[in-house]
Amino acid sequence: MDNHSNENITRKDLMKVFWRSLRLLGSFNFERMQGLGYAFTMMPIIKKLYKTKEEQSAALKRHLEFFNTAPWLSTFIIGITVAMEEENAKNTDFDTKSITAVKVGLMGPVAAIGDSLFWGTIRLIAAGIGASLTIKGNPLGILLYALVFNIPHYICRYFGLFQGYKLGTKLLNKALESGIMQKVTFGASVVGLMSIGAMTASMVKFTTPLEIGQGEGVVKVQEVLNQIFPSLLPLLFTVLIYFLLRKNVKVTYLIVGTLLFGIAAKAIGFM
Amino acid sequence: MLVQALLIGLIAGWAWMDSRIFGDNMLGRPIVVAPLVGLVLGDFTTGVIVGGTLEIIFIGIVGVGATIPADVITGAVAGTVFAIVLGKGPEVAATLAVPISLFTVQLKNLAKVINSIWINKADKYAEEGNMTGIEWLHRGGYVVLFLSAFIPNFIVAYFGVSISETVTNVIPSWLTAGLTAGGGLLTAIGFAMIMQMILKKSLIPYFIGGFILSTYFGLTITGVTVLGVLLVIIMNQIKQEKEVSNGQSF
Repeated sequence: MDNHSNENITRKDLMKVFWRSLRLLGSFNFERMQGLGYAFTMMPIIKKLYKTKEEQSAALKRHLEFFNTAPWLSTFIIGITVAMEEENAKNTDFDTKSITAVKVGLMGPVAAIGDSLFWGTIRLIAAGIGASLTIKGNPLGILLYALVFNIPHYICRYFGLFQGYKLGTKLLNKALESGIMQKVTFGASVVGLMSIGAMTASMVKFTTPLEIGQGEGVVKVQEVLNQIFPSLLPLLFTVLIYFLLRKNVKVTYLIVGTLLFGIAAKAIGFM
Repeated sequence: MLVQALLIGLIAGWAWMDSRIFGDNMLGRPIVVAPLVGLVLGDFTTGVIVGGTLEIIFIGIVGVGATIPADVITGAVAGTVFAIVLGKGPEVAATLAVPISLFTVQLKNLAKVINSIWINKADKYAEEGNMTGIEWLHRGGYVVLFLSAFIPNFIVAYFGVSISETVTNVIPSWLTAGLTAGGGLLTAIGFAMIMQMILKKSLIPYFIGGFILSTYFGLTITGVTVLGVLLVIIMNQIKQEKEVSNGQSF
């Protein structure tokens, strides 16, 4: 009973974890994905809390297990597990299985939120804003792109860690009860989909030079479309790809297929 | 060319490591990589323009999850090299870059297979409680991942110039025109991939709303985004007010 740690995790320890979390994907592999990176990130905590080889070994094995989540929000899960390890070091009755359970239970939802918020929404907006400038040769777009993505990124990475740690396991229940996770996902999805809608209209390049009729009565199809339903062709094409993806067609095939479609459509004068 | 090729290889290696050991700041993207390559080749402005063009083509293709469908970084490097050396406009160069990115992505997947060697050794070290050992295994992963980006891009930069000149003289103009047309459509795949992830039936109106704000009202992407954020805030307020008034009625 006496070998239990009285060490408390300090801000300094958490900052060590913060810096290490940047390297979570440093040894990414298909077998356990971010597993080795997770153990790497947790090491300052393991070193501080556990003094015997057996305890350290057990903790390392726990964190070498399969893990994969959205890196920008990963610190949220890491913070919770730091609090749990601290609890485990102090309390002999603590069931270490719950640490693994929390990791496994949270990595999916956090990945879903992180991907829709950061990948689907913030990065999309950053790229849209940045690229619209750089395409005209204005290098300010690069800076704007980096800032629009990374300011929210580092705010979430930093506060995710400290909030996760502060609330520990309590956070999990609280977050689920208040429905805050659903709210964030919903909000990110709304903004993301609106930008995708706008970008589909302005960035997918699909116009047709097709003409119907001859001589005086010639009708330019694209001109008619522009009057009734501009960007109809980009919309139809995007929706088609969406349905093909839902039918589990591989992205590689879609890329090759799209290029072939472009060649064929150009050759017959449809594009 | 050797020095330039080495520098370009280093840029590509750094770009890939951005997502591996620098916190995934999304800097390993065409919009950042292409201008850097342009700088090395002495034409920054073309790099900037190609970067923007490729960013849009590759907009949905990011290294999220385990597998990536295309190697965006090598695509960006090859596209920039072609554009600057051939001087045939960013679209043509970008489209020629896509097939290369489909090919070199296999190297990155191979690196993720190779990286499994570290984890099995790490299990042994964990048994012994050897933390320093595990740290070094993790760092071994850096080397493998770095090389998977450095090698193909060094090759593309070193041989790309001489090859691409002969290749473009051989490729007929109908093919480049077709590839350019197809390239302009690739963006749709990116949007569809994001939609597949976040679209639910109840959210379809928001997608259509964004589309209409752009086509019929001519709003920019920034404008639509700001409007979207406001909409979410307003909807949240309405919801909260409802909850409060429901609470009072009890």
